[in-house]
Amino acid sequence: MFSKLLTKKKKNKKKDSYIIIAGCGRLGANLANTLSALGENVIIIDQNQGSFRKLAPSFGGITMTGDATEIAVLDNAGIKKATAVISLTNKDNTNIMVAQLAKKMFNIEQVIARLYDPECECVYREFGIETICPAVLSMQEIDKLLTTIPLASMEDEE
Amino acid sequence: MKKRVFLIGGFNKTKFLASSLIKKGYDVAAINIDIEKCKELTEIDNLRVYHGDGSKPFILEDANAYNADIAIALTDRDDDNLVICELCKKKFNIKKTVSTIYDPKKTEFFYRMGIDSVVCTVTAIAGIIQQQAFLDEITTLASVGNGSINVTQIPVSHSAPAVEKKLRELRLPKEVIIGCLLRGNKSMVPRGDTRIHAGDVLVLISTEEHEMAAVRELTGR
Repeated sequence: MFSKLLTKKKKNKKKDSYIIIAGCGRLGANLANTLSALGENVIIIDQNQGSFRKLAPSFGGITMTGDATEIAVLDNAGIKKATAVISLTNKDNTNIMVAQLAKKMFNIEQVIARLYDPECECVYREFGIETICPAVLSMQEIDKLLTTIPLASMEDEE
Repeated sequence: MKKRVFLIGGFNKTKFLASSLIKKGYDVAAINIDIEKCKELTEIDNLRVYHGDGSKPFILEDANAYNADIAIALTDRDDDNLVICELCKKKFNIKKTVSTIYDPKKTEFFYRMGIDSVVCTVTAIAGIIQQQAFLDEITTLASVGNGSINVTQIPVSHSAPAVEKKLRELRLPKEVIIGCLLRGNKSMVPRGDTRIHAGDVLVLISTEEHEMAAVRELTGR
């Protein structure tokens, strides 16, 4: 999965990319590690300093303790020069707020938010915020697995 | 038909608002995530109470929030209040959304996101405390038009330059009106030939930029 990301990133890599990640959970930390390993400038924000232990020792970005829904914190994180903001905290409403702040108050071009509940998605699509829903992605993957298994066995029979 | 109001989250504020709005003839519903608080809210007569997370569409649907008149978000989290109001506005077509917020710096952001009215509890309470603590001094009673027009109460002391002057003798800016004069227990609408006495309290309606000039003319401060 990340190899794809790697090639894509290498292709259109800009010199001064600057990515802000809100929430240092499993996904946030892993993404930060990966992007950092690819040579991107990453700043990761979490309310709890203990969360940063999930980052790899090789992580070359910046960590910041604070509430990413506060305008002052985002300002301190240098959001004005950010090329992308990715909100991955464990609260949907927090992610929505961070994403909207980034989009509407700071005009960030690429804003991605994770939403556990896909039901609210319709409200945010019009803001130009890209959403990722783990349940929907899992469903698609499972569906893919279910449809590929019979095909494979059919090939075996032939 | 009665106007339908939804109070989402909050507890003490919700209790007070619900009773007051029901008395005024509104059809009021409360949504709360805490079952114990819900139980206590049901003790209010004529209040419909729904248990659940008000930032989830299916809860608002259960509460039949479609096309309601007013939604008021009262949770103690700014992000929850934002989502509640946006859902109410966009998905449930509620005419007016009101949100309480804690962080005063987000007021502009909330308005920009399409919320009709934003009440910052911290600044509101700080303002009231200030008013109460300095009751005998100059206090702003109300501000309208997003703070551009102030209604201010000004006590006239013995040493004030306006004492024993007629209103028309004062050099007040044109943008300032003395709307009311309080003398003891009596109140009157002053005219040009009304004389100001020491101990009077003037109620001033003025634009923000001319307020200080008027105060200086009246009190010398």
